[in-house]
Amino acid sequence: MTTSASLGEFEHLVLLAAAHLGEDAYGVTVQREIRARTARAVSLGAVYATLARLEGKGYLRSWEGGASDKRGGRSKRFFVLRPAGIQALRAARQTLDRMWAGLELDARSGHSS
Amino acid sequence: MTGRHTSQGRAHPPRLAEWVVRRAAGAELADNLLGDLAEQYAERLEAGAPRRDVQWWYWTEVFGLLRPSVIRGLRSDGPAARGDRKGFPTMLFQDLRFAWRAIRAHPSFAVMAVATIALGIAGTTTVFSAMDGFVLRPFPFPDQERLVTVGSAHPKVGGELTYFEHLSPAEYLDIKAAGSIEKVVAWDLGNRQVTVGETTENLFTAFWWGDAFGTIGLPPHFGRGFSRDEMDRGDRVAVISYRVWHDRFGADSSLVGGKMLVNGDPYTVIGIMAPRALVFGSDLWLPFPARPEMFPRDRRMLQVLGRLAPGVSMEAFGSELEVIARRTEAEHQAAMPEYAGWRLTPSTWADANIQQLKPAAIAMMGAIVFVMLLVCTNVATLLLGRSAARAREIALRGALGASRGRLLRQLLTESLLLSLLGAAGGVGLGYFGIQGINRVLGTLPVSLFSDLTLNGPVLLATVLVAVAAGLLFGTVPALQVIRSDLRGTLNTGAALGGTRSRLRVQRLLIGIEAALALTLLAGSGYLLRSLAAMRAIDPGFEPARVLTLRLTLARERYQPAAIEPFFHEVRERVGALPGVSAVASASQFPPNLYGRGEFSIEGNVAESEGARPFAYLTTASPEYFATLAIPLRRGRLLSPDDRAGGPLAVVVNDVVAARYFPGRDPVGQRVRVGKPDDPWAVIVGVVGATRNRGLDQEPAPEMFISSAQLPGSNNQMFLMVRTEADPRAVLGTIRGAVKAIDPGQPIYAVRTIEETYQQTQMARRLSVVVFTLFGGVALLIAVVGLYGVVSYATAQRTREIGVRVALGAARSAVTGLFVRQAMVPVLVGAGIGLIAAWAIGLMMASLLFQVKPGDVITLAGAAFLLIGAGIVASFVPAFGASRVDPVATLRQD
Repeated sequence: MTTSASLGEFEHLVLLAAAHLGEDAYGVTVQREIRARTARAVSLGAVYATLARLEGKGYLRSWEGGASDKRGGRSKRFFVLRPAGIQALRAARQTLDRMWAGLELDARSGHSS
Repeated sequence: MTGRHTSQGRAHPPRLAEWVVRRAAGAELADNLLGDLAEQYAERLEAGAPRRDVQWWYWTEVFGLLRPSVIRGLRSDGPAARGDRKGFPTMLFQDLRFAWRAIRAHPSFAVMAVATIALGIAGTTTVFSAMDGFVLRPFPFPDQERLVTVGSAHPKVGGELTYFEHLSPAEYLDIKAAGSIEKVVAWDLGNRQVTVGETTENLFTAFWWGDAFGTIGLPPHFGRGFSRDEMDRGDRVAVISYRVWHDRFGADSSLVGGKMLVNGDPYTVIGIMAPRALVFGSDLWLPFPARPEMFPRDRRMLQVLGRLAPGVSMEAFGSELEVIARRTEAEHQAAMPEYAGWRLTPSTWADANIQQLKPAAIAMMGAIVFVMLLVCTNVATLLLGRSAARAREIALRGALGASRGRLLRQLLTESLLLSLLGAAGGVGLGYFGIQGINRVLGTLPVSLFSDLTLNGPVLLATVLVAVAAGLLFGTVPALQVIRSDLRGTLNTGAALGGTRSRLRVQRLLIGIEAALALTLLAGSGYLLRSLAAMRAIDPGFEPARVLTLRLTLARERYQPAAIEPFFHEVRERVGALPGVSAVASASQFPPNLYGRGEFSIEGNVAESEGARPFAYLTTASPEYFATLAIPLRRGRLLSPDDRAGGPLAVVVNDVVAARYFPGRDPVGQRVRVGKPDDPWAVIVGVVGATRNRGLDQEPAPEMFISSAQLPGSNNQMFLMVRTEADPRAVLGTIRGAVKAIDPGQPIYAVRTIEETYQQTQMARRLSVVVFTLFGGVALLIAVVGLYGVVSYATAQRTREIGVRVALGAARSAVTGLFVRQAMVPVLVGAGIGLIAAWAIGLMMASLLFQVKPGDVITLAGAAFLLIGAGIVASFVPAFGASRVDPVATLRQD
């Protein structure tokens, strides 16, 4: 299990979406969640790749279930956050907060007023 | 793994797309992924989206999977593993996407490459299909090398070998006795008006005497051929061609066995010919027992078709024909002097048919080779330019870790994609090209061949050539680029080493293209000028609106004494018809003269054999000259007062006067045609000479005598009818008039004089179309190539341009510099092309008319066209380059 120091932007979104979805996170629902919250249309492939990568980093755990006729009899692969994943999210949030501290960004000038 | 099955009635996502996913993703994830996709697919359908759109979405999602980063993540060897090892189909899709993006990034180049390939393929295939349809395999008869015909020549009186309308029934029987042929048939040509139900058509008709279907070897498509009895009796049964049955009688199968009116007489249709089975373009076949008792030995209106007996060679047949000819000569020469030296020559039917077209066909073959060369050259030029222009991009990707094999493969994929696009365009254009030629064919008065179709194997061959050219020329520059130091490119920012040699190669290619284009343009120019010259020829009479038809009186029904009164009455009646302004009858008329003989001039020393005066001998009614509007020069024309029993009066044309009576007035001189104890005739007039052997031949000497003075000599005469309006509109009333005199008398060979002249020009007109087409295509290709080369050259030298402009050079000077440099290879190529054009002219000599191979106007015109196009093609990109902002250019690295 490897731990990576930081989360990529997309990884961030996928993890957060999974967090929102709880036990119901799989390819389709994650994609839908991201689109609903950010209005970004992301491809299923990218979601899948990221989910797999996050699982590889140990942030997610997955299991099979939910086969249905609609899916041609194929099962879904659900993903849920592991403690390490929650940790990574929190760490990322903290990092951002610290960077943002004391900033009042003015769109015109390039620096804090 | 859960079993997979779709419930009844549920639409399934595209299986091909699913296969792609399975190849792209690892085994583990593929299932889940496919399931997700299937779920969304079903949901979208349920939401009411149209099936097409949902499938499109599915494919988009699948393609989205094919990005390298995604694929790396999907592979089960984990995210950390370097995702370099991918399945082949995955890489192929990647390369295709990459190629597609690259093409869209340089649209003008892509358009030029695709256009070049499409034009080349279409032009080549169209012309080759035409050649196949006309020359190589025009008819579907089996064993065409064994299907033969016999030509004859009468050296004493005419000398020229002909395969058509040259045998009498008696002569046919002489040939029929030959053991070398196992099946044989004689046939004659004519016209018949055919009525089926409401539809009436004028059909070119073949009259058969003998085993027609057995000889040709192709049974009818429907129904049957003539039985022996039907042939012997001359029953009223008919077979019609496939194309007429299909196009004009609606392919109605009930026609077979049904009735049809042929010139008003009821006939039974017994069969439909096989598709494309045409004999000299005849659409109607009738039995015609032309017994020798009905026609004298010198009534030569038939041609013959036969099949060589097994094991017999053409040479053996020729030898046997020689024996027959000598025997006939010995037997009949005394009474018929034209038999002296009579020659019978065998030939395959195919050869005899296409004699006229052979030179054109050879010319077209050459043109095809040229154009394909041009296409390959141009594609090479464009690809050379393209790959070098993208040198930096390639170098960058190489520096970032793309393997050389990978780069090469991607460039190849791009070339392949372009070639295939070009091929697709070529197929489409080729289809339209063939339709176009068919339309031109339809305007000819007699269509000898069925409609052309696109030749499959040739199309495939040209597509393969184009694709191979694309791949080959896509590889060479790619290899060059990759072999050189990629990183060096990035550092120096200059163009890759080898630019100069590349430019040199490009210039060489442009020079070649210019030469080829000029040659083709010149060929086209020669032919166009020939046609124009032909149009300007004065035929010596007024050919417009004159209808001709042939009447052959059966010997068993018309005694010699009854012949002239018949024709006299025909002339009277037809002359009285509304819409007819003049009528005449004659044994022959321009441009188809065939009856000629020697004559003696009173008072001249008897010349030796072969040096005696000769002239075409035309028996005509006195109105002949007025009907054809032939001018009188001296003396008088033939008149009704020249009667049987009176002194023989003849009229000669200018050529006779000039050639045989130089410096003196022929009027009043006496000449004798035929044997020494025949009476002398007096020349009573001289008329203007007509182009009686065709527009492209010098007028031949011709002598005219009134048919009334030689009663019964000719039972076959042509009627010439000058009409006020459309000649064919009067045809019906003419038939009626003839029928009123003799209901059983058929009319055939109905044609206008203009159509007859046009027929002789068929080869030339066809060649013009081909050469102009090719010349245009060649010019277009060369222009496109030049444009590409100059674009590349200016792109390479933007810095230099920037420097020049910054240092004060006028933009026009910069433009002029590039144009001048670009035009050098064009001019050199044009120079070489002029020499090649002269050589082409020599080879095309038989197609040219009043145009010499070194014709200045043609060559100058072609050169101007090429150079002009070249200047424009190089000016545009050069001008664009000169307008560059020097500051921006110089700031670039």
